[in-house]
Amino acid sequence: MSGAGEGAIVLRAADRGADLTWTTGEAARVAAARPRSGLMLEARNLSRAVGGRVVVDDVSVQVRPGEILAVVGPSGAGKSSFLRLLNRLDEPTGGTVLLDGEDYRTIPPRDLRRRVGMVMQTAWLLPGTVAANIGFGPRQRGENLAAAEVAALLERVGLPGYVDRDVGNLSGGEAQRVSVARTLANAPDALLLDEPTSALDEASARGVEELVVGLVDERRVPCVIVTHNKAQAARIATRVMVMAAGKPVEIGPAREVLHDC
Amino acid sequence: MIAELLSSLSSDVMMGLAQAAGAIVLCAAVVALCRRFGVHVEREAAISIGRGLVQMVMVGVVLALLLHGSLLIGALILLLMTIAAAVTAARRLKGVPGPVLVAFWAILAGSGVVIAAMLATSALKPDIAVLVPVGSMIIANAMNACAQAAERFRAEITAHVGQIEAGLALGARPAATVAPYVQSAVYASLLPRLDMLKSLGLVWIPGVMAGMVLSGVSPTYAGIYQFVIVAMILAASGITGMVAVLFMRQRSFSPAEQLILRRGQDA
Repeated sequence: MSGAGEGAIVLRAADRGADLTWTTGEAARVAAARPRSGLMLEARNLSRAVGGRVVVDDVSVQVRPGEILAVVGPSGAGKSSFLRLLNRLDEPTGGTVLLDGEDYRTIPPRDLRRRVGMVMQTAWLLPGTVAANIGFGPRQRGENLAAAEVAALLERVGLPGYVDRDVGNLSGGEAQRVSVARTLANAPDALLLDEPTSALDEASARGVEELVVGLVDERRVPCVIVTHNKAQAARIATRVMVMAAGKPVEIGPAREVLHDC
Repeated sequence: MIAELLSSLSSDVMMGLAQAAGAIVLCAAVVALCRRFGVHVEREAAISIGRGLVQMVMVGVVLALLLHGSLLIGALILLLMTIAAAVTAARRLKGVPGPVLVAFWAILAGSGVVIAAMLATSALKPDIAVLVPVGSMIIANAMNACAQAAERFRAEITAHVGQIEAGLALGARPAATVAPYVQSAVYASLLPRLDMLKSLGLVWIPGVMAGMVLSGVSPTYAGIYQFVIVAMILAASGITGMVAVLFMRQRSFSPAEQLILRRGQDA
């Protein structure tokens, strides 16, 4: 896949049993499934109330390895609140999350967040070089990424040669790609994305979409993406969950739920 | 003791009241001048002057009684001052669980360590007449340092929620995500005291030195002693600021390492 969003990529959507061939600007889906592997991410009766107001209300959903679940809905529907519960940035007041059947409350929070990587709406890069940002996660565990590993991650997110760039000089799209690479440096078993392209222009947004789809496919990780953009959900998601007032009101294959996109 | 008190009332106090009357006349003249310019502060000035005089006379009478008490009474007075300082500083710890306790332990740590060190090195006499005024200065400065550190830390945290949560999401320890804000909060609490030390003798001659010189002590010794006091105030402020911020840092996160201190949150 080209980092700049040019050229064609081939994707496989596990639940549809279909290969996806995607050239920038168009999506085409072709049959054939890839064997499933990796981790199953499951929200079970997940709820959260803040000050007596329920922001996430009894959400149960499974996300399979290699699957992208897009969470859509109006502002205030609880999409981001739901996502934050998945890596325990907020505490559920009901229900739990299972990683391959293991209750995430039994996992130390830092291990959990390494395993369930999250890319936020804003990149929130640390002041300094791109390399320092990429190595942030491993450094928290006393590990140092080799220069070759940093270079490989940057190559993967379409930013070859950016190792020594100061993050202050990056565009919004580049910063978001560094944010993705920084999350990948932790080798996560699942990927969460909170409106990762909402602040980007169309071309940069398409580039990040391609990157995410390619990564999920090659690493066979379950992925949950929150987006207000239904067209984006239709382009990249395997399944879509529509939320309203904290509840999932519809969930199903993207082409069925988003038939008008 | 009572006889001594009455004796002081009959001589020094009468002279003080006469001086106060002179000061009130000068204030009244300024109020009259203000009135000519259309600034009407007559009522407010009368209330302020009256309250100020009555309060200070009362404080003087209480101190005259207390300063003849034992060292234990002195320690009790300092403890009560520390509690009052904690209640005052706790107003700046909004959103932190147990704000009064956080402020109390921070102020007690800063002022307690410094007062103990001053007593141990004979920089402070174990005499209630010295212990209470000097101790109160140190406690008051520790209170300000606690409030400044807490305010700065809270402001930094609530302004950097995104950065902190990005760090947490990458598996960082809570302490690592807020390390820059701990540093800036402690520095902010020290800055006024550092400036105070720098400007000592150049911009102002503090009250302790002025009082010592007026009571006949060698000006050189009075200057050195004043430096000791201000340096100890700096030390107390540093300890208080650090303890306050470390307590706040610990209480800013849940046991599951979630950031719980947020803008507009009261508990």
